[in-house]
Amino acid sequence: MSGAVLLETKALSKRFGGVVAANNIDFTVTEGELRCLIGPNGAGKSTLFSMLCGIQKADSGEIYAFGKRVTHRQAFHRVRRGLGLTFQSNRAFHDLSVAENLAIPRKPLHARSHQKAAERYRYALDAFGLDPADQTRSGELSHDQLQWLEIAMVLAGFPDLVMLDEPTAGMATEETNRTAEVLKALQDSGLTLLVVEHDMAFVRLVADSVTVLHQGTIFAEGTVEDITTSEAVRSIYLGKA
Amino acid sequence: MSESLPLAASLIYQIGATAAFLFLAAVGLVIILGMMNIINLAHGELMMMGAYAATITHHAGLPFWAAVIASFFVVAIFGAIMELTIIRRFYGRELGALVVTWGISLIMGQGAFLVFGPFMQAIKIPGGSFSYGAFSFSEYWIVLMLVSLLLVLALWLVYNKTTYGLQAKASMQNAEMARSLGVPTKRIYTLTFALGAGLAGLSGALLAPTATIAPFMGQQFVAPAFITVVVGGGANVISGAVGSGVLLALIKTPVGMALGAFSGTVALLIAALIIIRIMPDGISARLQRVFDRRVQKRQS
Amino acid sequence: MIQRSLRLIGGPADIGRTPLFWVGFAVAVAFFLLYPTQVSSFRASNVAYYLLNVPMGLGMALLWGYCGVLSFGHVAYFGIAAYLYGIIAGNMAGSSWGPLVGVGGGLLGCAIVAAIFGYFVFYARVQKWIIPILTLVFTLLLETFLGQTAGYQWRVGTVLLGGYNGMTGIPWFQLGGFVFEGYSFYYLCLGIVILTYFGLRMLMNAKFGQVVVAMREDELRTEMLGFDTRFRQCAVFVISAMLAGLSGLLYVQWGNYITPSQVGLLQAALPVVWTAVGGRTSLLAVVIATIVLNWLTYTLSSQGNQYAMVIIGGLLVVTMMFFPRGIVVMLAETIGRRPWRRRQAAEGRS
Repeated sequence: MSGAVLLETKALSKRFGGVVAANNIDFTVTEGELRCLIGPNGAGKSTLFSMLCGIQKADSGEIYAFGKRVTHRQAFHRVRRGLGLTFQSNRAFHDLSVAENLAIPRKPLHARSHQKAAERYRYALDAFGLDPADQTRSGELSHDQLQWLEIAMVLAGFPDLVMLDEPTAGMATEETNRTAEVLKALQDSGLTLLVVEHDMAFVRLVADSVTVLHQGTIFAEGTVEDITTSEAVRSIYLGKA
Repeated sequence: MSESLPLAASLIYQIGATAAFLFLAAVGLVIILGMMNIINLAHGELMMMGAYAATITHHAGLPFWAAVIASFFVVAIFGAIMELTIIRRFYGRELGALVVTWGISLIMGQGAFLVFGPFMQAIKIPGGSFSYGAFSFSEYWIVLMLVSLLLVLALWLVYNKTTYGLQAKASMQNAEMARSLGVPTKRIYTLTFALGAGLAGLSGALLAPTATIAPFMGQQFVAPAFITVVVGGGANVISGAVGSGVLLALIKTPVGMALGAFSGTVALLIAALIIIRIMPDGISARLQRVFDRRVQKRQS
Repeated sequence: MIQRSLRLIGGPADIGRTPLFWVGFAVAVAFFLLYPTQVSSFRASNVAYYLLNVPMGLGMALLWGYCGVLSFGHVAYFGIAAYLYGIIAGNMAGSSWGPLVGVGGGLLGCAIVAAIFGYFVFYARVQKWIIPILTLVFTLLLETFLGQTAGYQWRVGTVLLGGYNGMTGIPWFQLGGFVFEGYSFYYLCLGIVILTYFGLRMLMNAKFGQVVVAMREDELRTEMLGFDTRFRQCAVFVISAMLAGLSGLLYVQWGNYITPSQVGLLQAALPVVWTAVGGRTSLLAVVIATIVLNWLTYTLSSQGNQYAMVIIGGLLVVTMMFFPRGIVVMLAETIGRRPWRRRQAAEGRS
């Protein structure tokens, strides 16, 4: 792993009225890692996530993606640089066919290795059992298949870094494990992933590094073992800290 | 000194009158938009209806102020019927509601033409005028400014101090939750639409002495009312309407005085385009943020 | 190239993809092609009027049905193109190329105004209900402005704007020495209707159209796949404004005059009605509705009917309440579900 920093924030802050959703966050994602962002409800995961991809504007601080400052760039610019993301609630186009869903994504301007990205996309289609010529209305798919379709759509845009917001929400154990396998395989093929998650079981399955958010600040950072064995982390999940 | 004081008074009067006009033109629209998320394009025609109701009852012998109040109830009842028969099918379908209320407005405009003919004898402007320095002031417009202020106060009281206001705000924020807590949301929506329609009728009646009473008079309120609402935004509609009414009056009055009424209205449209480019969520959202920041400072 | 075009036409963006449908379609086109040979030039000219409104209806379907953006003021672009054509062609009355320059100027004018307007609303990412209101205000102001241009001081070159009486004596369209009037103008309109229909059907089946529909379904998701949704909405707005302008151009070439009431409230309602009644998510349904409703309004108003606006408004209310997806589309679906009546379905759509 080269260890280049793909995504970085410096002193990122955001408030809603009197609530501090993000307080001076310095956060990095390096190339090749699969990082999980965890934290109890209201810790600021979603706010950080939507500031990273450009849906919400930060009050102060800077965001860098692929070495370029993108703090004030529109969301689609970041996507074109090589960022991809899925939403917490499934947002594949339910009224369009599977084929159309997979045809829509736009190829980024600077995909560094098109061939690898194309391989990853084909792998994901295969692993999730999706057919790019399928004319079924995607709204008729099952919940799990829809989640997978959205991941495949994002990969069709040949991203270098994929951000997933609770990709296994609502999935049964078997499908969760399948998703974890695919994400690990994608990481092995060189893709960088950032996963927002609150299901600790899933985090143990996939993550190699974990960032814990609590009350809008980074509470702890480390390997899965460090985090899962930490008394302090356990206590904030139980609401003691 | 003796020159500049009357000039200042006249300028304030002009701006105040324009702001009062914009607020009155927008108030019914704003209630329905803010509380129900329905954009009522028949708003101008409801104002027309109010003007007709006031004119007819006044010519029939009712005193002017009684006629104004009567027109509030006439149009409110009409609004309630409109909500019960048509509007309630369109909750959650913003564009559908826009189109259907537009259809209603076409029917109402042409319908008034067919029933009442092309013109109706107008009401004389109540009260006289006085002059100060070289400028003349209409008593009626000063009363309208006061009435606008009273309306703001009354609406604030209704929405903050009554059960209906509380239930209406709850229904707006989360209808399902409100229903499960026993709030009769359907009745609340009917009442709210009736209130908005009634206010449109009231405004139409109040502005009737200053306008030509004709079937398509509603059209002249469309531009000012909707621009006021667009600029005001949807976050806190009453303060938004007041804020944008004043801001737009500050733009429209000098342009209108210098270049004529039509240029004043064009300036309104251009101002609206520029303001939404700067503040896409309208003035009310901006006001809300400023207010939030104050609260933060006080807390920290 | 031809194969690609055929594939694009056959895509899922519009109703009617079966062979039987195309037979019906061909019959309908043949009917319109042969119609003038059987009737007087006056009646052909009436049908030309129904046809010339189709591009504006299609522009409305593109904007409202496919892109999810509603405009109540598309007649403003109808009027802008028409007045610009009148001014340019009128000033170049001596030249046989004047009308062509007028057409270019009219369409360019529409595109510029629509782009400026679109920049302000789409780049501000305003809520969707604001756009119909601002477009309506725009067209009402345009009507007021044009209405007060009576008198000799309101002239551009040699052409008078004419206030509420409108602009008169606008030249026919001509290419070189060939003037389009009577039957030839009918075929000009028919040709433009067929070309714009197939052009839009291809555009909507192409990647561009897929992304437009994706934006309608979920704007944020589309942006997060790397698309500048502001630019695309603005582009669709400009295209549909130019289509309205195209109708405006044909209108003044048809009647040789225009009045400010063409950009007024009643006219503004018409394209919305055609699109709603036809079914905004089908181009063909809107073509059918535009022709049928224009025939209806023409018949009503030629009898001096005062109820025109009540009927139009009532139609709009009834359609939105009981046929929210459009009367033509819902009829087509009902007939399409019965295989033994397919043939009639295909012909019924013509």
